[in-house]
Amino acid sequence: MNTSTTPPSLLDVQDLRVHIRTERGTVTVVQGVALTVQANEVLCIVGESGSGKSVTMLSVMRLLDEKAVTYEGSIKFQGRELLDLPARQMRAVRGAGIAMIFQDPMTALNPVYRVGWQIAEQLRAHRNLSRRQARTETLRLLTAVGIGDPGRRIDNYPHELSGGLRQRVMIALALSCRPKILIADEPTTALDVTVQSQILQLIFDLRADTGMAVVLVTHDMGVVAEIADRVQVMYGGNVVEHGTTTDIFNDPHHPYTAGLLASIPRLDQPRPARLPSIAGTPASAGNIAPGCVFAARCPHRFDACSTQPELRTVGDAGHQVACHLDLTVADHRAVPVGDATGTEGTDLL
Amino acid sequence: MNQERPVLVRLQDVRKSFPVKGDRGRRAVLRAVDGVSLDVFTGETLGLVGESGCGKSTLGRCIVRLTELSSGTVEVAGTDISRLGQRRLRPLRQRMQMVFQDPYSSLNPRQRIESSINLTLRTADNPTKAAIAARVRELLELVGLQPEHAHRFPHEFSGGQRQRIGIARALAAQPDLIVADEPVSALDVSIQAQVINLFMDLQKKLGLTYIFIAHDLSVVRQISDRIAVMYLGKIVEIGPTEDLVERPMHPYTRALLAAVPVPVVSPGPRAPRAALTGDVPSPVNPPSGCRFHPRCPISTDRCRTEEPALTGRGPLGRKVACHYPLSTE
Repeated sequence: MNTSTTPPSLLDVQDLRVHIRTERGTVTVVQGVALTVQANEVLCIVGESGSGKSVTMLSVMRLLDEKAVTYEGSIKFQGRELLDLPARQMRAVRGAGIAMIFQDPMTALNPVYRVGWQIAEQLRAHRNLSRRQARTETLRLLTAVGIGDPGRRIDNYPHELSGGLRQRVMIALALSCRPKILIADEPTTALDVTVQSQILQLIFDLRADTGMAVVLVTHDMGVVAEIADRVQVMYGGNVVEHGTTTDIFNDPHHPYTAGLLASIPRLDQPRPARLPSIAGTPASAGNIAPGCVFAARCPHRFDACSTQPELRTVGDAGHQVACHLDLTVADHRAVPVGDATGTEGTDLL
Repeated sequence: MNQERPVLVRLQDVRKSFPVKGDRGRRAVLRAVDGVSLDVFTGETLGLVGESGCGKSTLGRCIVRLTELSSGTVEVAGTDISRLGQRRLRPLRQRMQMVFQDPYSSLNPRQRIESSINLTLRTADNPTKAAIAARVRELLELVGLQPEHAHRFPHEFSGGQRQRIGIARALAAQPDLIVADEPVSALDVSIQAQVINLFMDLQKKLGLTYIFIAHDLSVVRQISDRIAVMYLGKIVEIGPTEDLVERPMHPYTRALLAAVPVPVVSPGPRAPRAALTGDVPSPVNPPSGCRFHPRCPISTDRCRTEEPALTGRGPLGRKVACHYPLSTE
């Protein structure tokens, strides 16, 4: 599927809305998300639970249960609309076009097959390799993802491996079809910090070696600072801010971004008597009042917030924020996001 | 730092092992906690950090005796509780409560919040119904919830609110000591900060002593007066928080600190850096000598054979188990 004309973006998502039918009616969990991914970049999608970050990525892979889900908008991969693709052709995109790894590699690997077999099977199915070629290639992949003693590991079952090794096997599996984009959904959240930094370094190095793009979904701003070229901050099914990593960390405009950054306990700074925190409870899909999604928790809330702000460009090209105000770092410092000693979200569902 | 502070909990050579199946189904022993001695002072927060499998949770459970010790003693306020019978243990147990990681699985989903909390109250004394109801409302307000929440079920609350309920339940028994096992690691970042602040406020208000178990050093540092670092069942370093964070002496402590990603962008191209290679070895078959030596950047032959003892260094009560402790300037 190599076209000679290079498309502008590898992945181009426009105004994506995802509606999920539940027993209690239809819930719109992604509310008009746009994102683009260029070759060889690391895009981080940051957000808390219920922000829609994982659903957005699962929609790109078309891995949601389509009996219960309706999509609106457009997801173009190399110029081709994925939302219209028949299941069969979509299968060809998964793996060779876009591969995805998940938080818990134990549930993604088949426990009754040896890990080498699982990789080799994929190579034989997608790349038409012979049994022998597939085994050689599997060994090469296991080595590439930094597994020591691949000759032994190839015959291990998933339960015989540690969490870090399992995640490496998952990455090898994802790389086996040479994807253009690797989507990693919280790939290090279940791992210890020392192993987390190894896996991040691996993903970073593989990106440099293969030229693939990486979309990393995470809630950890520390991870973002280490690895991202660009950052997209999501809240309540919406993109609230987008920019280069420097824009987001050094010049956050959205009160949510600023609050998120402020509430992280930091080892590199003197510890505060109290941690700044964002008052209230994260917005969950189906429980969002009209207007700005963050208004209920925002210290800068005013009349205009009852209408939903559009993403607009601020400062540098590419730095976008969905806020009626034009807040700077100084404003965020002057009016910090609420400190919640008291009540948290009294108006429950 | 002050030598005169009263000791609330004293652990002496606490060990806990579990029988497991080893290689080819052979019987083996997993030494989850392998000889831990330490004091917890009244009113302080001792942070217990380490990676998965280091034994920090097992140690926490041993302290409140949710797990029986294999050997060693746990003294709470001067009484050795490690071998007490249930009847004599019960009044002491009310003085030590536990808060768990997942507030959802530790609350009965079919029980209203009120009942979850007042179960502890009813065991404690023989109060009247009205007194119980009043106390439940008071406890809910103490943890930042609304009194009318008492009649709701756990599923009606968010993760952060459920953890507040877990804390309220622990407080119902009016404990001196709370052992909190990863109480904020399942929470969203913005909520995590709220719950850490709540823990700190309650300590000030009620004079509580905490043992705060977590894998996240930045969280532990925020809340702790002292930090103990565990690796494969042993304490490898312990000391006052700021001293330990600023001048780690054990190579493992330094690596743990270096592995925590800092949310700051440095100019120039991005590049993550791994601080340590390899995984934590299995506690069934721990390495010889110093248990950290296979992953240690400065290990020598001595480290492979001779196990370092936890010895005091410096005036601040630091202790380190390393043959070659890092700079002490």
